[in-house]
Amino acid sequence: MRAKILALLLVAALIAAPLAVPLARAQEQPPELTGNWQQDVIALGKWFQAHGVTKIHFSVQAAGDPNSVMRMYGIVEAANRINKVWADNGINVKITVDTYWESDFKKQFDNFVTQYDLGQNGDFFVNSYIYIATLAADGRLLDITEWVQKYWNSVFSDFYAPLMKAAQYKGKYYGIPQDTEARPLYIRKDVAKCMGWDLTGLAEKVKKGEFTWADVFLKAKEAKEKGCADWGLIHRRGSAHPDLIQFIFAYGGKLYDNKTGKLVVDKTAIYKWFATEAAFADAGLLPRNILDWDWATQIHPTIVGESKAKGGTGNTLFDIGGTWYWTEWQTKDYYLDPHTHQKRPLTPEEVKEKFYYTLFPAGEKGDKPVTLSQPFMWMIAANTGKDNPHYNDPAYKKAYEELAFLIVVAASDPVINAVHSIISAHVPVRKQASALLKNKTFINNLVNLKLPFSQQVIDAIAPIVKKTANPINIEFLANVSYMLDYTHLAPSHPYYNKLADIFKDALDKVLKGEMKPADAVNYVVQKVKADPDLKDNTEIIGEIPAHWSLVPQATTTTSPAAGTQGTATTSPAQAQTTTGKKGGGHTGLIIGTIVLIIIIIAAWLAVRGKGQ
Amino acid sequence: MRASRTLNNPLFFLLPALLLIIVFYIIPLVITTWVSFTPLRNWRITLLSKYIGLENYRDLFYFITHDPDGILVLKTTVVFVVFTLIVNVLGGLLLAIATYIIEEKVSLTFRLLWLLPRMTPLAVFGLIWYYFFYGSPQGTLNAFLLHLGLIDKPYFWGTDPRLLPWSAWAIIVFVNGLVGVSYGMIIFYSAFKSIPPELITAAKVDGASTWQIIRHILVPMTRWHLVFVTVWQLLSLVTSYTHLFVLVDWRIVDKWHGTTWALFVFNEAFGDVKNQGLAAAAAVVLVIIGVLLGLVTLRIMRFSQTTPEPKGDL
Repeated sequence: MRAKILALLLVAALIAAPLAVPLARAQEQPPELTGNWQQDVIALGKWFQAHGVTKIHFSVQAAGDPNSVMRMYGIVEAANRINKVWADNGINVKITVDTYWESDFKKQFDNFVTQYDLGQNGDFFVNSYIYIATLAADGRLLDITEWVQKYWNSVFSDFYAPLMKAAQYKGKYYGIPQDTEARPLYIRKDVAKCMGWDLTGLAEKVKKGEFTWADVFLKAKEAKEKGCADWGLIHRRGSAHPDLIQFIFAYGGKLYDNKTGKLVVDKTAIYKWFATEAAFADAGLLPRNILDWDWATQIHPTIVGESKAKGGTGNTLFDIGGTWYWTEWQTKDYYLDPHTHQKRPLTPEEVKEKFYYTLFPAGEKGDKPVTLSQPFMWMIAANTGKDNPHYNDPAYKKAYEELAFLIVVAASDPVINAVHSIISAHVPVRKQASALLKNKTFINNLVNLKLPFSQQVIDAIAPIVKKTANPINIEFLANVSYMLDYTHLAPSHPYYNKLADIFKDALDKVLKGEMKPADAVNYVVQKVKADPDLKDNTEIIGEIPAHWSLVPQATTTTSPAAGTQGTATTSPAQAQTTTGKKGGGHTGLIIGTIVLIIIIIAAWLAVRGKGQ
Repeated sequence: MRASRTLNNPLFFLLPALLLIIVFYIIPLVITTWVSFTPLRNWRITLLSKYIGLENYRDLFYFITHDPDGILVLKTTVVFVVFTLIVNVLGGLLLAIATYIIEEKVSLTFRLLWLLPRMTPLAVFGLIWYYFFYGSPQGTLNAFLLHLGLIDKPYFWGTDPRLLPWSAWAIIVFVNGLVGVSYGMIIFYSAFKSIPPELITAAKVDGASTWQIIRHILVPMTRWHLVFVTVWQLLSLVTSYTHLFVLVDWRIVDKWHGTTWALFVFNEAFGDVKNQGLAAAAAVVLVIIGVLLGLVTLRIMRFSQTTPEPKGDL
C-alpha cells in the first residue's frame, strides 16, 4: 500500500514538475523600471538572458513624407543603442527591428487596424496623435502612464507641455511626441514685389492681429488684378483638413469642449470660415475645385511655380501650408524651370528668396492669429512583443512591454529629434532638441554626417541630410518655433474624423457654388444630427451671423462660374428654407420607395398566383 | 452496386457546386448578417461576440431619413441601376444584332473592340476616364468641345453643381455601360449563332426584311438569353461598386452623386469611418433587395416558360 502511495506521489511529482517550471517563471517578474535608462536597460537585458531569451524581434510601422524617415530609423537607432549597452555589459541578447514605411499616414492607420487582430501589426506605430483616441478606446495601444511618470524628471519634463497633453486619452498616456509642426501662411516675395507690396514687418502685424483675413483677401485681389499672380490663395485638398480648420480657431471658434469631452460645431466660426473661402472662390482668387487638386502635380507646382503668362505652372500670392513644405520644395521636382523647361527641386536659396511666412492671420480685428499642430507620436501596440518567445507568459509580456518603452525613450533622444526636425522641417518636441538647432558644433557634425548613430541609420539618411541640412533650413526652423505659442490641436476624439469629413464635403459644396455658406453650415448640422455617434458626442453652439461678410461694405464679385452664389453673405432664413425642403423630400421619397417595394412584391405574388 | 447507387444519387453531382455555394455564399452571408447585429468597428474582431440587436439597422434608417446625402445615395442607386441596365441589355442586344448582320471578319474585330473596356485593368480604365472628363482645357472632352466651339470654357463635368445631378449620373452610367454592354453582346451573339440558319434563309426567301427577321426570329428565339442577361446584369449592377469607387475616389464625379448603395457599403466598411457593423446591415438590406428584384424580374419575364422540362426518362 505504502509502495503504491509512493509510486502515485512520484508520478504526481513528475507530472507537476514541468508545470511548476513555467509557474515559477511566471512569478519571476521582470525588474520594475526606475527612471534611469541605462540601469533599466541593463537590468532588463540580464533578466532576458537569465530567462533564455537571446533574440528579440520588433517591427515598426511609420508614415510620412520622404524626408521623415527618422520616424522609422529612430526606433532602429534606439534598438541599436540598447544592443550596444548590452554588448558592453556582456549581456548576450540582441534586438532586431523590421521597418514598414507608408507615405500616406491614413493608409498606415488602415494597415495597423486591419492587421492588429490578426497579430500582423507592428510593435511600434508612428503616426498622428489624432489616432490615439480611436486606438486607445479600442484597447490597441499600450498604456504607458506609469512609466512616463517614472521617466518624467529625467526625460519627459523636457518636452513641450501641450504636446505631452496631446499624447493622452482620458488622462492616460498612450504615446510619446515624436515631432510637431506649425502651419504658416506662405507669401510669395516675388509676387508681392510685383504688386509693390513691402512685406517688412508683416509677421509682427499678423502676430498683433492687425493683419486679418480681410486684408489677405484684398491683397490677393490686388495681386490678381495687377496681373502678378494667377491665383490669390492656394491650399491643400480636403484630406488636409488640419490646414483649413485653422479658420475656426482664427475666427475665435472651438472644436472641442474640454469640460464635456464632446466635439463642438461652432456655427458662427464655421460660417465665417466658409464665407471667407467662398469670397476667395467667387472672386476667382481660389480655384473652385481646389479640393480636387492633386498634391504633386497641381498644388505644389502652383505654389512654387512661375506665372502661366511666363510659361510656368501658375503662381499664387498666398498659400496655407506646413513647415515641412520648406524642405519638400527642396527635394521634390515641383518647380518647372523656365530656362530648361524641366521640373526640378528648388535650392534652399531659392526657397528663401521666394517665400515669406507668418502665422495664420486672425479672422477679424480682435481675434488672434493661430497655427495648428498635429504632432506625430511614438505609439506602442498593446500586443507588443507578440512575435517573441513565451509572449503569453505575463512576466515575459511585461518584459517586452518595458523594453518597447525603453526603445521609445531612446528614440526620443534630443539628437535623434533634432536631426529629424532639420531634415524634415518639423519642429522639435523637446527643449534640448530645440537648443541643438542653435548649436554650431552639432550642425557641423550633422552636415558632415558625424552623428552618434549606427552606420545603418547614417547610410539611410545620408542623401536626405545632403539635400536638406543647411543654415537656411535651420534658420527657418528657428524662426517658426515661436508659432508653437499660438498653436491649437485638432480634437483627439474617436469621432473627429467623421466630423472632419463632413467639413470637407460642406466646404467643397461652398467652393463649387453648390451651397451658400449658411446652407453649408446647416448641412453640417444636419449631417451631425443624422449620425447617432456624432449626435451623442457633439455640441452645436452659436448662430449663423446675419449679414456678415469678409470685407465689410464690399460685396464680392460674382463670377460666371459661381452659379447660384453671389455674395459672401447669406440670410440664415433662406438657408433654413432650403434645408427644410430637403427634409420634406426625404420623407416623401422614403414612403415612395416603401410603396414601390410593396407594389413590386404584390405584382410578383399576383403573377405567381396566375402562373399556378 | 454500391458505386452505381452513389452515382444515381443527385447529391453526388450537386455536392461540388453546393460546397462552393455554402463556402463562398451562404457562410459569408451568415457572417455578414451576424456582423450586422454587432458593433464591429475598426476591424476590432473581439467585438464580434457583442450582440446589439437592431441598432445598426436603426442607424441606417436614421441615415437615410435624416442625412441630406442619405436619400441621394438611394436616388443615385436607382438611376444607376435602371439606366445602366437599359444600356447593358438593349445596347448589348443592338451590338449583337449589328455584329450578327455584318460580315464575320469585320464582326470579329468589332466584337473584340467592344470587349476592350472589359479587358482593360480597372486602374487604366479609370485613368482614361479621368483624363477624358478632366476639368481643364487639356481634358479630352473639354479640348474636343472647345475645338468645335461648342463650349467657351472647360467644365468639370462630373462635379460642376450647375450640371449636377445628371452629369454625374450620366458619367457613371456611361462608364459602367461601356464595360457591361459587351457581356450582353457576347451572350446574344452566341444565341443568334445557335439559331438554325435555315430559318433565316427561309425568311429571306419569303421576302422578310432585316427588321422583320430581328423582330420575329432573332429576339423571340433568344428570349431565355434576354431574361438571363437582364437578371444577371440587374443583380450585378445592384452590387457593383469598383468602377464607381475609382470615379468617386479620383473625383471624376461628385462624391454623393456617384455613391450607390453598394459603394456606400464599401466606404462604410473600408473607408475612413470603418463601421463594419453598419456596413454589414446595409449589405444585408442590399442582399434582400437583390433577391427580391431577381425573383420579381424572373416572374415578370416568365423565366420558367423559357426553360421547359426535359423530355424522356433519365
